[in-house]
Amino acid sequence: MSGVNWWAIAPLLVLSGGAVLLMLLVAARRDTPLSWITTALILAAAALSCLPAREAIPQAVTPLLMADSYALFFTALFAICGLVTVIVSHEYLGERHGENEEFFLLVLLSTLGAVTLAYANHFVALLLGMELMGVSLYALIGYPDKLELPLEAAIKYLVLSAAASITFVFGFALLYAAVGVLDYPGIGAALASADNPVLLASAAMIVAGLGYKLSVVPFHMWTPDVYEGAPAPITGFLAAVSKGAIFAALLRWWMASGLYELPGLLTLVALVAGASMLVGNLLALLQDNIKRVLAYSSIAHMGYLLIVLVACGLVADPHLAKEAAAYYLVAYSLTSLAAFTLLGLLSRASGSKELASLDDLTGLFWRQPGLSLLFTVALLSLAGIPLTAGFVGKFYLFSAGVAGSLWGLLALLVIGSAIGLYYYLRMVYRMTLAGDAQPAAVERPGWPARLTCYGLVLAMLYLGIVPGPLMEILRTIL
Amino acid sequence: MDGLQVPMEHVLGLASLLFAMGLTGLMVRRNILFVLMSLEVMLNAGALAFVSAGAHWGQPDGQVVFMLILTVAAAEVSVGLGLVLQVQRRFQTLDVDNATRLRG
Amino acid sequence: MRSTELLPFVVYFAAVILLVATMLGLSWLLGQRRANKATNMPFESGVISVGSSQIQLSVEFYLIAIFFVIFDLETVFIFAWAIAFFELGWAGYAAIMVFIVVLGVALIYEWRSGALDWGQKTRRGLEGAPPIEETP
Repeated sequence: MSGVNWWAIAPLLVLSGGAVLLMLLVAARRDTPLSWITTALILAAAALSCLPAREAIPQAVTPLLMADSYALFFTALFAICGLVTVIVSHEYLGERHGENEEFFLLVLLSTLGAVTLAYANHFVALLLGMELMGVSLYALIGYPDKLELPLEAAIKYLVLSAAASITFVFGFALLYAAVGVLDYPGIGAALASADNPVLLASAAMIVAGLGYKLSVVPFHMWTPDVYEGAPAPITGFLAAVSKGAIFAALLRWWMASGLYELPGLLTLVALVAGASMLVGNLLALLQDNIKRVLAYSSIAHMGYLLIVLVACGLVADPHLAKEAAAYYLVAYSLTSLAAFTLLGLLSRASGSKELASLDDLTGLFWRQPGLSLLFTVALLSLAGIPLTAGFVGKFYLFSAGVAGSLWGLLALLVIGSAIGLYYYLRMVYRMTLAGDAQPAAVERPGWPARLTCYGLVLAMLYLGIVPGPLMEILRTIL
Repeated sequence: MDGLQVPMEHVLGLASLLFAMGLTGLMVRRNILFVLMSLEVMLNAGALAFVSAGAHWGQPDGQVVFMLILTVAAAEVSVGLGLVLQVQRRFQTLDVDNATRLRG
Repeated sequence: MRSTELLPFVVYFAAVILLVATMLGLSWLLGQRRANKATNMPFESGVISVGSSQIQLSVEFYLIAIFFVIFDLETVFIFAWAIAFFELGWAGYAAIMVFIVVLGVALIYEWRSGALDWGQKTRRGLEGAPPIEETP
C-alpha cells in the first residue's frame, strides 16, 4: 500500500470515517437535529474533497478501485444527491417519534456504496458497492415501521433486489470460470480471444441482474410498487442515486472491458432499451397514482440512457456517448430528486399524508402556488421541454444516437417522449384546474427544505438555459 | 495438487442445479422465511461456482470472493430477518400473499 | 477420475443399502404387529411429550441470532489475516486494527442503543416511546 496517494480516495475515506463517527455520536447521544447536521456536513465534506483529490488522479488504488476524473465526477454528484436527500428528509421525519438518527446513518452508508460503485474497477468493488447501497436501502424503504405500505415495499425490494444481485453474482462466477480474471481490463483482454458456450449463459445472467437493478423492461415489475411504498425522499434517492450509481458502474465496465465490441450483447441491450422506452411510457399512461406514473416514467428514462451503451459500439469515438450519459445522468438525478422531494413537501403542505392519486392534484396550483410552480418545472424537465436540463440531456442522447445511426431506437425515443409529454402535461393541467379554492391549513415546510428545492430547480433551469459550462467540463475530464 | 480432483464442469453443474433449486423455491414458496432461505441457497451456489473456478485457474481470488459473498449474505439476512420480524408484528403472518396492498 | 476408482464407492454404497433393507425387511416379516394405544409412546426411555412443538420464542432470541450472524463472520477475516501474519507485516496489522476498531464501534453502538439488554422491555433511547410489544 506504500506509495498510494491517499488524497485520490479522499471522498471514500471521508464517507466511511464519517459513518463510524456518526455511529459513535448516536451511541453517545441520541439527538436527531445533531445527527442530521453532522450527516449533512459529512456529505458536503465528501463532495468538497473531490477538489483536492483532483491533484492525485489518475491512480489505481489497489486493483479494486480506479481513481480518475470519471470517479470523482460521479462521486460529487452522488454526494450532492445524498446531501439533498438528508436535508429534505428532516422535514419528512419531523413528526415521527422514535429513533430517527439511524435514518441519516443509513443514507450515509448508501451514498458510500454509490461512491464505491463510481470508483469500482473490479468485480469485488462492484459487488461490495452494490450491496452496501442495496442493503442500506432495504432498511431505508421500510423505515416508517408503523405503516404497512413501506414495510411491504421493503420486503418486495429486498427479495427482488437480492435475487437480482445473486443472479449477477452467478453470472460473474460463470464469466470468471470462462476467462479467469476479475478486473475490468483483464476481462476485456480475455474476452477478445475467448469463445466458450458458458459465456452466453453468463452474459444473460449478468444482463438480467443489472437489468433488475436498473429496472428496465422486462425486469421492471418491482419499480412501481417500491416507488409507491417508499417514503418520498427515499424514492427520490432510489431513483437518482441508486440507479445512477449502477449505471455509472455499468458504463465504466462497458468502456474498460470494451464490451461494446460484442455484437450479440449490443443487440440484447438495444432490445431491452427499446422495450423499456415503449412499455414504460405506455404503462405510465394507464396509472392513476402519481408515484406510479413517475415510476413508469423512470423505466422509460433508463431505456433512453441505454441508447448510450448501444451507441458506444457503433461510433468511432465513444467519448461523445460517455459525455451524453454523464450529462443525462446529472439532469435526470437532479430532476427526479426535485420531483419526489416536491411531491413529499406538497403532500405534507396539503395536510393529507401522501398525495396519492392524480385527482388529488386538482386545483393544487391555487392552493400551493409556490411549490406547485417548482413541481411543474420538474415535470417539464422530466418531459424534456426546452429550457430545462431534461431537454439538453435528451438532445445530447439524440446526437449520440445519430452518431451511431441508431434510427430505430431514435424513433422510439421520439415516440416515447411524445407519449411522456402527454402524461406529464396532464398532471400540470390537473394542477391548474379550479378546485376548492379555499386554502386548507397550510403548513409551510422549513427553510432548509424550501431552499434545497429552489436550488434544485434553479440548477435544472441553469443547465437547460446555459448548458455550455457543464458540457465543457465533461469534455475535458471524460 | 494431490488428492481427489473434481473437474470444474461438474462443480459448475452442481452449482447451477443449486441455483435452479433456490430459484424454484423463491417462486414457489409463500413464507418469507423460506424465501430468504431460497435466496441463501442461490447465493451459496454462486459462491461454490466462484470457488471451483478459482481452483480451476489456480488463483486464490475465488476463495476471497467466497468470503466476500458470505459477508454479503450475512448483511442481507440480518436486514431481512429484521424486516421479517416487523412483518410478523404488523400482519401477524409470514405469508407474502397477505401483503398485497400494493398492486402488482 | 477413472471408473475403477469409483468402484469401491459403488460396492460400499450397495452394501449399505442391502444391509439396511435386510434389517428392516426381516423385522417386518418376522416381527409381530400390535396396534395398542401405547405403541407409539416413548417406552422406558424419555418422557411423554406435552403440548405442541411449535412454541413461541421470545423475540430477543431472534436478536441474538442476528448478532451471531454478523459477529461470527468477522472472525473469518481475522483468521484470514492471522494465517498470513508475517507476510502482511505492519500494513496488514494496521488494516486489521482499523477493521477491529470499526467492529468495536459497532459493539459500542449496539450496547448503547440497548440491543444487548436482556429482558428489559423498554430500550434505552426510547424513553417515552411505547414499550416494544412482545409477539403474542
